[in-house]
Amino acid sequence: MPQYMLLLHEDPTGWAKLSPEEMQTAIEKYMAWAKKPINRGGKRLTEEPGKVIRHTPEGPRVTDGPYSETKEMMGGFYTIEAASYEEAVQLSMDHPHLEHGTIEVRQIFEM
Amino acid sequence: MSGAPETRVLLEHLFRHQAGRIVAHLVRLLGPAHLDLAEEMVQEAMLKALQSWPYKGLPENPEAWLFRVARNAALDAVRHRRMAGGKAEILTAELDRPVQLNETDPDFEEQLRDDELRLIFMCCHPEIGRDASIALSLKIAGGFSVREIARAFLADEAAIAQRLVRAKKQIRDKGLTLEIPSGRELAERLVAATDVVYFLFNEGYAAHEGEDLIRQDLCTEALRLGWLMARSSIANPRVHALVAMMALQAARLSARTDEAGDLILLEEQDRGRWDQHLIAMGFREFDLSMAGDEVTEFHVQAAIAATHARATGMHAIDWPLILELYGQLFKLNSSPVVALNRAVATAKVHGAAEGFAALEPLSQDVKMQSYYLYLAVRGHLLLELGENAAAARCFQAALERRCCEPERRFLKRKLRECGGTLDGAAAENG
Repeated sequence: MPQYMLLLHEDPTGWAKLSPEEMQTAIEKYMAWAKKPINRGGKRLTEEPGKVIRHTPEGPRVTDGPYSETKEMMGGFYTIEAASYEEAVQLSMDHPHLEHGTIEVRQIFEM
Repeated sequence: MSGAPETRVLLEHLFRHQAGRIVAHLVRLLGPAHLDLAEEMVQEAMLKALQSWPYKGLPENPEAWLFRVARNAALDAVRHRRMAGGKAEILTAELDRPVQLNETDPDFEEQLRDDELRLIFMCCHPEIGRDASIALSLKIAGGFSVREIARAFLADEAAIAQRLVRAKKQIRDKGLTLEIPSGRELAERLVAATDVVYFLFNEGYAAHEGEDLIRQDLCTEALRLGWLMARSSIANPRVHALVAMMALQAARLSARTDEAGDLILLEEQDRGRWDQHLIAMGFREFDLSMAGDEVTEFHVQAAIAATHARATGMHAIDWPLILELYGQLFKLNSSPVVALNRAVATAKVHGAAEGFAALEPLSQDVKMQSYYLYLAVRGHLLLELGENAAAARCFQAALERRCCEPERRFLKRKLRECGGTLDGAAAENG
């Protein structure tokens, strides 16, 4: 079955505003979602804004980014299985992350 | 906000309660002057949980995980950031020591309970003032956020935040410590602490407006704080009486409303829905409160709640005893609210006419005129006396006072019982 990546974008400062009770509720919701059989696992990324390396005539050049200018950054990702892209999107509509940020759905290319 | 039961993976209020415990632990190690730092470390630990558990799954022991991460954050802070001096070495050694939580190390559990107790005592220090103590206890020992406290007290967030800042400054300025005094000073401090807990409980129990679950959380938290005091070695009969009263009243909380969230009067409540665990706890504490000669308001209130709990059904309630107890309570605290309750008991024992007569002294009280319950009781007794039109006027007036949604629906139901429509009664009233 085709696999899809859910890229979770968020404003990390938003988390810090939650109370312990709200954090617990959020964790419980995420974990309940992650238990779905369509989930093939995921990873959290650290909050370092990261660097971008580009080729230039003078050789590789490192710049800040890609999130240095925006408040939103990619916080983590999940891989899920779905029959089609439409189904992958449909299956992600109830993800609790939508209360805190946005989700980008991308199909993983397979040959 | 809370998830459906089948999706619940953690204990109810685990984070909130762990926040209080970890802060208590760190404040003992770092000292009360570093309260803010302790809070920050807890926040950091919980953020890390939020970022890791949804991807990696629940750690084997979530409590221990949070504790370890918070202690490591504190260790980091002591080593690299804000603290230096001779104490740093002792602190790093202590924070570096691996700790076991729960059954594996009863000594550590014991120490934690002691830490929490000391923290509550400091938050309820008479030097701080009651309003600040209430906010501080909820924030520091209870793990409530400023927003949640503001919501619970229908107050402004900025005002609560201000109050907390001032309270923390007082802790620093007055050099308050975590020490628990002895002798007469201990008794005084216990009075202050039980008053704060009692206030918290009452605020939660008598929801004024709206239908907010956070208010029920106040009851739960008050009971938890009281219970912490009750099972410590410093507990006195006053503490036991308070916890008995809270447990016996809280046992009825879930039976107070039906599935639609409508209010159910005590007599009509399904006793099967009363929390038997809390009732047992209440009676145990009530027994313990009997040591000594002192009879506090808490004792009498606990006795009233116990009389209700002991009854096997609505017809088995010992109203003469309850009337006597309200009389006793009135001698200790001659408040109009107590008088109102006593009038209800009078009506039960001697009939609606005498009950109504007992309300008479309250009719001059300005506060009572704006209290929906006074008007509702008046209406109820008038209805029993067959004075439907006058009763309807009372219920109509009660509806215009401050009360919560379930109470409002209850009053409308009573108004219909009077045989009048809403508009009809309003016309009579006007």
